[in-house]
Amino acid sequence: MSDDNLFELKAVAKRFKKGKETISIFDDLNMTIKRGDFLAIMGPSGSGKTTLLNLLGGVDQPTGGEIVFDGARIDGLSEGDLAKWRANNIGFIFQFYNLMPMLNAAKNVELPLLLTSLSSKQRQQRVDTALQLVGLADRAKHMPSEMSGGQLQRVAIARAVVSDPKLLLCDEPTGDLDRQTADEILEMLQLLNREFGKTIIMVTHDPAAARHATHTLHLDKGQFVGKDEPELQEKSA
Amino acid sequence: MSLLAQSSAVIGMNIKSLPRRLWMSLAMVLASAVVVAVLLAFLAMAKGFEATLQSAGQEDVAFFIRTGSAAELNSSVMKEQVDLLREAPGIASDENGKLVSPELYVIVDGTKRSSGTDANIPLRGIEQQGLALRNNFKIVQGRLFTPGTDELIVGEGVLRQFEGFELGKEVRFGKNRWTVVGVFSTGGNVFESELWADAKVIQTLYNRGSSYQSVRAKLTADARLEDIQAYIKNEPRLNQEVQTEANYFAVQGEGLSYMAIFGRVISAVMALGALAGALNTMYTSVSDRAKEIATLRAIGFSNLSAFIGTMAEALVLALFGGVLGALAAFLLFDGLSASTLGGSFTQVVFSFEMTGQLVMQGIWLALFIGFISGFFPAWRATSVPVAVAFQSRG
Amino acid sequence: MKDLYLVYKNLTRKKLRLFLTSFAIFIAFLIFGAVTALQGALNSGVEMSADNRLVVFNKINFTQSLPYAYVNKVSGIEGVNQVTFANWFGGYYQEPANQVVTMAVDPDSYFEVYSELVVAPEQKANWLQNQAGVMVGERLAKVNNWQIGDRIPVSSNIFSNKNGGQTWDLVVEGIFTASDPQVDTGYMVFHYKYFMETQSWGGDYVGWIVLTTDDPALNEQVANAIDESFANSQAETDTSTEKAFNKAFIEQIGNIGLIIFGVVFMAFFTILVLVGNTMVLAIRERTGEIAVLKTLGFSSPRIFRMILTESCLLAFIGGLLGLGAAYLVVGALSQMMARFLPNLVLGPDIVLQALGYMLLLGLITGIAPAYQALRLNIITAFARG
Repeated sequence: MSDDNLFELKAVAKRFKKGKETISIFDDLNMTIKRGDFLAIMGPSGSGKTTLLNLLGGVDQPTGGEIVFDGARIDGLSEGDLAKWRANNIGFIFQFYNLMPMLNAAKNVELPLLLTSLSSKQRQQRVDTALQLVGLADRAKHMPSEMSGGQLQRVAIARAVVSDPKLLLCDEPTGDLDRQTADEILEMLQLLNREFGKTIIMVTHDPAAARHATHTLHLDKGQFVGKDEPELQEKSA
Repeated sequence: MSLLAQSSAVIGMNIKSLPRRLWMSLAMVLASAVVVAVLLAFLAMAKGFEATLQSAGQEDVAFFIRTGSAAELNSSVMKEQVDLLREAPGIASDENGKLVSPELYVIVDGTKRSSGTDANIPLRGIEQQGLALRNNFKIVQGRLFTPGTDELIVGEGVLRQFEGFELGKEVRFGKNRWTVVGVFSTGGNVFESELWADAKVIQTLYNRGSSYQSVRAKLTADARLEDIQAYIKNEPRLNQEVQTEANYFAVQGEGLSYMAIFGRVISAVMALGALAGALNTMYTSVSDRAKEIATLRAIGFSNLSAFIGTMAEALVLALFGGVLGALAAFLLFDGLSASTLGGSFTQVVFSFEMTGQLVMQGIWLALFIGFISGFFPAWRATSVPVAVAFQSRG
Repeated sequence: MKDLYLVYKNLTRKKLRLFLTSFAIFIAFLIFGAVTALQGALNSGVEMSADNRLVVFNKINFTQSLPYAYVNKVSGIEGVNQVTFANWFGGYYQEPANQVVTMAVDPDSYFEVYSELVVAPEQKANWLQNQAGVMVGERLAKVNNWQIGDRIPVSSNIFSNKNGGQTWDLVVEGIFTASDPQVDTGYMVFHYKYFMETQSWGGDYVGWIVLTTDDPALNEQVANAIDESFANSQAETDTSTEKAFNKAFIEQIGNIGLIIFGVVFMAFFTILVLVGNTMVLAIRERTGEIAVLKTLGFSSPRIFRMILTESCLLAFIGGLLGLGAAYLVVGALSQMMARFLPNLVLGPDIVLQALGYMLLLGLITGIAPAYQALRLNIITAFARG
């Protein structure tokens, strides 16, 4: 395996038991994500997009197969180790922002830094930088209830990058936004990808959003379909 | 839609969704139930105690004890003084002569059923006229003591709270042995907390010579206490003071009225605490449904009907709790026999009395709690602009 | 702790709810503190009893007297160390409502037997020399504002003075204090001999006898020996330890006390249940936020701790304020009711007990939602939100 690979999924299976029936989401899923990718994953509801994102984000465990991140397996890690791993490596961006309503923008951005050993001064600097990056330095003291959807998502992005993770996972990041605001958010993600080298994986069902990515994968019934197969991209790249 | 129809639609919806908010609803019911039960417990106690002491004292009975002695226990009256008091103005007679009862009052030990420890019981020495003075006196088991013998009769309250006083039992106080030959009732008042025996026998057994401790006298309809006071003042051989028996018992019960005040203060403070709990519950419950309420208002329900609906919910829950609390208080406390230290270091036995009037007080309190805890949250829910209510998620 | 800010923000996010919850807890602990102090005041006589002190009463009842000759007989019994005796006087000052607990005692031995009472030697010497002298307890002196040298007319509601009337003129010769604040000093004592010589009935009896034994282990043996030696005499005796006697006296207040305290404590716990319910619900509302924190990488134990810290903080905010208020109320009451209820103090044992309940409230209300958060599956939490 090459050092270029950030993520490798090998024969990953995910099944749920629902009553007596076993529902299989993935049987044999294989994929490789390289450092610096901006990957969009598209697919209809029930195709397994969210489950895949959960597996990649380390909030869910596969029933079978291997998930290798940066050369180390993460499947089978304990819950506590996974939490540490997430804190160190992943930035999350959600459809509904998921900001803490009782904290102002700066304090929301600071949350992931509470998991580090940084001093409060260092944390403050990082927060300021992150907010500047998303263009909200002047809104640091605003509460979530005082901000628009686009602003909220930018705070969420600041929160996702503040601890400088290798990977950003975005779950429908523009699903709740109008077209123009959505484009602003997507451009910001592109910037993070190009200028700061962040690997980004984005689940969306909006083709316009997917166009901002460097590659797109189509997921249907637990399988990748269409010409944008990751192996093909790898060869062509 | 009329306001009435709108309101009843909202109320119906709220009540149907109560089970969904089960814990919240239960908390509200519990808050109201506890406040009502605590209040009623104290009121029933005060009521029972009042009934016991008040019904003992009669307005038309004059009560004589030695000046300054404050209670029968400390008082003394010589035989000659009794004879003098017999001649006081305004004293009624019956076929046996003047209705005057010289009495003795000794304290003896009895063993309490509840704790197994000893507590004080008054042993009253009494004569025929003393029985005639007590309106409600009747023997409910056995017979009256025979004068001149070591027989005694026991009040129903003593029988209830103390062991070893059953009919036919022999009881020992120090060296003295007595036989219980009867059980008497005086209509639930404080005399039922006593043992009665022949005054002459007690004089002998307790070395009292021919002296007594108190004198009771039935007054004629036109008798005046002032005349008796003047009579005593002009008779140097008398060192007694006179008051109505009712007054004596009222003063004796004063110490325990503190208990009632204590109860009221505690239940009032406690009600405040529970009220805070109830308010909290209703606020949470209403904010839980902020969206539902906003939806109703958006589709044209009036603010007032939404308000009424929320109020009704609070009232129903509080009322339910109040009824539950009253019922619990009734089952736990009504008729509960209690005893405590009355005047003269002796035990007063009384029963908690839960009257319909008290229960009504409890229900009113519950409605008050419901009103307060419904009003403010309902007000808030219906004064928020619809659009704002929709924005706030969850 | 870096998370304290988060805890604080969670706690204060709904000011009204914080206020109402704290207020309910405040009330609960206010009542708890006040009522427990009251209960303690009633029981303090029992707590403060000396281990080796026995009291001898007439078997009929403690209001009946004993022959004076018993005093000497009791002191001759093996195992008895010191003996003193007392007589109830039934005193009041100026008016009958203003009762003053007064006893006629043997001046030579009384303070020997009640060794926890502290008397200045020169005051005691003065008292021994003055027949009409009286030693006043510190608290009683304070209530009535009596000083050494004051001449106080004390009346009895039982006895008459030979000179006519029921009033004795006594002179305050000393003020005794106690080695422990819980010991009652709300009474006064004067010469037994003087009392017997001046009261109109005369007589040769004492109210009760108090003695100390050589060793608490001998208590039962001594008590039996005393009661046996007076069996079948004109006045049989009942000897018990001071502790047992005080306890029995308290119990005379009867099941009414039990009922009242029972009702109050039931209500105390119900308020806590109510508050607990709201606290549990308040945290359960935040399931979605907890899921987000977990996703960001906050570990489950850390979130568990945060929630417990929050619920404990809430319990202590209201609880400590309530306990503080109880302290003030008890302080004020003990001033007002010094006459009826000596020893009304909110002592450290009550504080500790209350702190225990606060911690318990915090832990119990926190543990359910905290445990839920610990077990919370992030995926299902998102599906719900």
